[in-house]
Amino acid sequence: MRPPISLEKEFLKKWVMGLQKWSSTSKEMSFLERKKAIKLSADVAMASARNGSTLWSRALIAGASKDPDTNAIVKHVVTGSTAFASLPPPIRLGRRRVCSNKALRKARINHFRRPSRKSAASSIVKRLVKKRTQVIKGLVPGGERIDDESCLIKETLDYVISLRAQVHVMQQIANAAELLNTNNN
Amino acid sequence: MDPIGGNEVRSMNGAKDVEFGVEAYQFGEELHSLMSGPPVTGNSFTALLDLPANQAMELLHSQAVDDSPSELRLKGHCVSHQSPYNHTLNWAPAFPSNTALIERSSKYSIFAAADATVDRVGGGGGGQGSPDSSSMPSNSRANVMKVKSEPADSGSNPNSLPHASGPTINEKQMNRKESGKKGKGSSKRGKTTANDNSEEVEKLPYVHVRARRGQATDSHSLAERARREKINVRLKLLQELVPGCNKISGMALVLDEIINHVQFLQRQVEFLSMRLAAVNSPMEFNVDSLFSAGNGSVTDSIFPSVMPLTWPEVQMNSDRQQWQFDYDKSANSALFHSSQRKMEL
Repeated sequence: MRPPISLEKEFLKKWVMGLQKWSSTSKEMSFLERKKAIKLSADVAMASARNGSTLWSRALIAGASKDPDTNAIVKHVVTGSTAFASLPPPIRLGRRRVCSNKALRKARINHFRRPSRKSAASSIVKRLVKKRTQVIKGLVPGGERIDDESCLIKETLDYVISLRAQVHVMQQIANAAELLNTNNN
Repeated sequence: MDPIGGNEVRSMNGAKDVEFGVEAYQFGEELHSLMSGPPVTGNSFTALLDLPANQAMELLHSQAVDDSPSELRLKGHCVSHQSPYNHTLNWAPAFPSNTALIERSSKYSIFAAADATVDRVGGGGGGQGSPDSSSMPSNSRANVMKVKSEPADSGSNPNSLPHASGPTINEKQMNRKESGKKGKGSSKRGKTTANDNSEEVEKLPYVHVRARRGQATDSHSLAERARREKINVRLKLLQELVPGCNKISGMALVLDEIINHVQFLQRQVEFLSMRLAAVNSPMEFNVDSLFSAGNGSVTDSIFPSVMPLTWPEVQMNSDRQQWQFDYDKSANSALFHSSQRKMEL
């Protein structure tokens, strides 16, 4: 499916804002730094385009805010959206510990349970699914703290859509930039 | 009417999937054109949640309260489904007698429908979902939309029902969703429903669960089932979104594909940012014009001047053809006429 244009426009705007901030702060940047700056601005822009309605966007922005370097960019880009001020801070680590305890307990229990003939296959499938779910949690920003499966899927959905829009816009700009480059040189 | 027995009906064919995808991602006017395109999908979601009428009757009479929402949904689906189910209308008159049912039905703005063209309305209603909501609410809206076809046809179901308090089982889900996305997109859904209770428009639809024949109907299992259905519906949406997932059956493989896709996208972002960093010439953004752009094409307003750059050669690359951009050809061209648009890095 096609990324919605409104989302892309929003993303573009915010990205540009972020990039301008970067360019205004430091003139000399190595290649890697530039790449990081671009990516960061893009990510933050994408997250803020969601206006804090999704978990992953909040987590992403919170993660970016932790680093003092990136914090300025985050603030700059996010100032436009009102939702963030009222957002609760991300979930504490305690919860994470609780999650892992649960997982441990479940693993232990499963170890002792003898699967009947019927459920042998299903238990294997369950294990596989569980593993995959863990991976997805690792991929989606802020996914670690989501316990609810349906919530996780929803976040993943939204994240995928945003990523697509992001990639789309970045592609176009990259192509345009390269074209300009080759034309000018 | 075909007896379904105790099995869950999950027979989604390709058309249904298309409908899901289409309905789920209704972000703005571009997708309306998409909506009119796809084949008739009215059968899709209704067939998904199909139940024979006699089951519904059983439910209706046996459990007045808890199963009423599922009841309604059943009716809606039965009716919105094409010819075979029209005869279910004969038991429609039973409904108004059940006041709890009525109250509950009023909750879903579904019963405001006057549109007999169920499929399109359902799709269109789903289509006008909020742009930034996740696909899930849109999809549930789609469910709900299908239901609303029923009152349009049956006529006996009152359209102007008083707004009711939340039902027991789905309340949890409802609240969860609501807290997350209050007012999102439901307002758009209200557009298609002729009869809007303004309060209803605020509430979000949610997945209805029906107790199938032979299944336990206590609140726990119902809640469990509701939860599972929710997950399944969302997973289907994800399947729609990730290209190539439609053919795969089985949760684990689908999740695998999703993981691959997300990783791919993330890697693409990295790669693209590297590409951009490698651009040597400085570009400045004409920020003011960029931001003053209204809802029209951003790039159009930025680039009034047309430069003789040939944009077709830089058409979007071939990463994933399925993604079908027709992002605004003018945007493409405008990007390359970028005398005004330069990016300073």
